Amino acid sequence: MEGARLALGGDPPLDVLGGVDLIAHAGQVTAVIGPSGCGKSTLLDAIAGLQPLDAGQVDTGGDVALMPQRDALMPWLTLGDNVAMGARVAGVASAEARRLAAGAIRRLGLEGFADHYPHALSGGMRQRGALARTLIAGRSTWLLDEPFGALDALTRAGMHDVLRDLHAAESPTILLVTHDISEAVGLAHRVLVSGPGPMRIVDDITVDPADPAVAAGRALDALRSAGALA
Amino acid sequence: MSRRGMRRVGHIALAVVLPLLVLIAWQVAVWVFSPREWMLPSPVDVLQAGWDARDRLWFHAQWTILIAVIGLTLAVLIGGALAYLIARSRIAWLAIYPWVIVSQVIPLVALAPLLVLWFPPFVAIVLLAVLMSIFPVIVAGVDGLRGVDPDLVRAARGLGADDAWAWRHVRLPASLPRLFTGIRLAAVFVVSGAVVGELVASERGLGALTRLSAGQFETPVTFAGVAVLALIGLALFGLVVLAEALALPWTRRATRPGA
Repeated sequence: MEGARLALGGDPPLDVLGGVDLIAHAGQVTAVIGPSGCGKSTLLDAIAGLQPLDAGQVDTGGDVALMPQRDALMPWLTLGDNVAMGARVAGVASAEARRLAAGAIRRLGLEGFADHYPHALSGGMRQRGALARTLIAGRSTWLLDEPFGALDALTRAGMHDVLRDLHAAESPTILLVTHDISEAVGLAHRVLVSGPGPMRIVDDITVDPADPAVAAGRALDALRSAGALA
Repeated sequence: MSRRGMRRVGHIALAVVLPLLVLIAWQVAVWVFSPREWMLPSPVDVLQAGWDARDRLWFHAQWTILIAVIGLTLAVLIGGALAYLIARSRIAWLAIYPWVIVSQVIPLVALAPLLVLWFPPFVAIVLLAVLMSIFPVIVAGVDGLRGVDPDLVRAARGLGADDAWAWRHVRLPASLPRLFTGIRLAAVFVVSGAVVGELVASERGLGALTRLSAGQFETPVTFAGVAVLALIGLALFGLVVLAEALALPWTRRATRPGA
């Protein structure tokens, strides 16, 4: 994924993206951190091509999968069919999609639950299902929109491990949007800090995995000086 | 019997007790005040008259059931298609939806004589049944399609689905529970529509039977006809609930209070 410069967005004339320059390096996890309502979701929509820009451009090679907030599994599909949707969207035949889904379900530790409807699963399991759906879409770039925000702290820690393992195995380019500093420095190679909306990147921090606390402190300082701490 | 089973029996008993009490009170009132039978027959009189007239009741009931089933089928097909158009296209929303609402402001009963004037009786009666029942289907369908959780659509679009794919695989299935709510209402209204038509324009059907029998002071038969109408409405409602449970297995969870 190459540089993306975006300006303005959203249909009420409200500046959501105030000229954002952003480069996510291939095969790395890049976190975007900022206060609620700073335009993070709109940023991902723009990158995924769901939200046209007023100015600026995005270059992703079209090879992206966006995972929305919460799990957003279809309540009328079983877990297996939900996961298979990741491939069905791209026109993969039903039998092949099911085979792919079965593999992804096993990898995310959900075997035995393929025939369950989402309402019968825990929040963590549904989130794993959403990750499995994203995984079998087979894209090289994943856009994750506060994927673990709705989970309790222990489940979230477990999901961080799941995502780390997936990234180690698949090495997709991940752009992760969050408002949780420890999540950002715990998962990402790089943390981009946004001020309050309209969105612009105010700091670009490389995380030292040996001492993520340094990056966390710098991110907090950047948020504070941008006036993003209420 | 398990506690759960006991409780279920209790719930059914509760649902039966109140109507039973009303029937008993009615029976006692007729014994005490002994009105003329053609003014107010007792429940036992109605049961007796209904049993004696069972062939006649069945002859008329078949007709009403036929009209109600045809009417409901048409209301679901036409109403569903209109709901899709209205939800999908802004032009259809502006051009059709206001008229759908206006059409419901007109008392449809008042239209019955006109429809009979213009169409053969059978067509006129089916039309009335459709007109009386299509409104909830359209409104529920439009609300269902427009009220889909945006995160579900975003999830599909974020995986690369185009708009048409998202309509077919996300919006349509997501709207079905609300659509079925409308169809359940339609199942009740369609019987009223059929009866209004039969009252005005038919020699056959339970609406015609109540008109003819009341005119001849066969009041117990009139009551029996009304009771059969209620049963038809209940059965149709039950069929829709059953179809819903079969078509939407994911909605089958405990939603009853106390369940």
